[in-house]
Amino acid sequence: MGPVGIEAMNAFCGIARLDVLQLATHRGLDTSRFANLLMEEKTVPLPYEDPVTYGVNAARPILDQLTAAERDSIELLVACTESSFDFGKAMSTYLHQHLGLSRNCRLIELKSACYSGVAGLQMAVNFILSGVSPGAKALVVASDLSRFSIAEGGDASTEDWSFAEPSSGAGAVAMLVSDTPRVFRVDVGANGYYGYEVMDTCRPVADSEAGDADLSLLSYLDCCENAFREYTRRVPAANYAESFGYLAFHTPFGGMVKGAHRTMMRKFSGKNRGDIEADFQRRVAPGLSYCQRVGNIMGATMALSLLGTIDHGDFATAQRIGCFSYGSGCSSEFFSGVVTQEGQQRQRALGLGEALGRRQQLSMPDYDALLKGNGLVRFGTRNAELDFGVVSSIRPGGWGRPLLFLSAIRDFHRDYQWIS
Amino acid sequence: MGEPMTDERIRGVVHQAIVRVLPRVRSNEIAGHLNLRELGADSVDRVEILTSILDSLRLQKTPLAKFADIRNIDALVAFLAGEVARG
Repeated sequence: MGPVGIEAMNAFCGIARLDVLQLATHRGLDTSRFANLLMEEKTVPLPYEDPVTYGVNAARPILDQLTAAERDSIELLVACTESSFDFGKAMSTYLHQHLGLSRNCRLIELKSACYSGVAGLQMAVNFILSGVSPGAKALVVASDLSRFSIAEGGDASTEDWSFAEPSSGAGAVAMLVSDTPRVFRVDVGANGYYGYEVMDTCRPVADSEAGDADLSLLSYLDCCENAFREYTRRVPAANYAESFGYLAFHTPFGGMVKGAHRTMMRKFSGKNRGDIEADFQRRVAPGLSYCQRVGNIMGATMALSLLGTIDHGDFATAQRIGCFSYGSGCSSEFFSGVVTQEGQQRQRALGLGEALGRRQQLSMPDYDALLKGNGLVRFGTRNAELDFGVVSSIRPGGWGRPLLFLSAIRDFHRDYQWIS
Repeated sequence: MGEPMTDERIRGVVHQAIVRVLPRVRSNEIAGHLNLRELGADSVDRVEILTSILDSLRLQKTPLAKFADIRNIDALVAFLAGEVARG
């Protein structure tokens, strides 16, 4: 079997951010305890951004590096999301249109809560491995957002809210998958999957979320252990403490990953508390670097953790990265791949860290206005004109490259506009 | 093997884990009708408390998700006693 994996990848995480410590102060939370959660900033979606704009803005820089023939060899486009705005029409059709891909391409939308991005990646990997269309590539775009609005009967000061509000982000990661995996070469067959029915967190109604955050965290830990056990059944020599130079985990918030890693190390390594902390800083913290600045972007989060690892790790020698994805409901997977210095150089050239720094800081009054639904297009909107001036301090454009934004909805069809 | 694992010994393990993770809490403040949240544990603390209790009691096979519905310390001790008895 030949090589397979990620040829190129990129994230786009919006144009507006919020300092979550300021948010915690604003909400009157005990900020001395807040450090425990390991969160710094989050992306806030503006009314004229949606999962299509994030996805297209993430994918475009990697498609711009391809020749026309290479671009036309993309035969599978998977949109991975839990934030889509149509039960029937696949979101990938909009991505396909605005990325200018070949019409000889499968257009699919895939849902599986925060596991969706990895589900799409594995589907793409298997398409390439099948060898049925030699030389073909696949594009996987995981894109999600959470528009928090204060639900009826809700209270912004409850503990659950205080945990969920600062951790909910917005953004997308695009992954070009092929038989030339310059960035992340997948270990073929090294996959431990684990899933079962559980009602932890879900989106049973439009524009809102429900669930039990505690159950979700505990289910995440059960899955992490059992997915890794299944991985070791297939890769008997694997050792949690020794086999992986880095670990990239689904990151609901940084503190959760720290807890999961500590639990895994206790079970699988027998190392003491101090050694586990040092190991966390060395192998896990690089993967939190971007997630801490963006918040949870659900289906795209594990890929964002992988991007953080690649940009901030030391790849003077090639490193194997252990990856864990968990999607509520639930489905999870532990898998791995190898990153080289060339892969790191390619990723760093895309300047993701700088792009996150370019997002404009939202003021607390502007953020609260968005939270109350100012200018928001709700699920099922038939007609709308989007106002690019809805947040007066932020204007789309001036990003250094054209970005796509939602401009109007006409008879349910979404119109988008490139703005330089 | 040491002494049998009575409910009181299990309660001792629970208290030990709580005061280690929440240094502001004293053992005599941990009333049975309180839950971890009321004792000041956030979500990260709760995970740490539960995993360290399971470690101490060597309950490696108990799924953590089973703890989500347990509403107070008395119920936690009763649930753990059942798990210990089942081995």
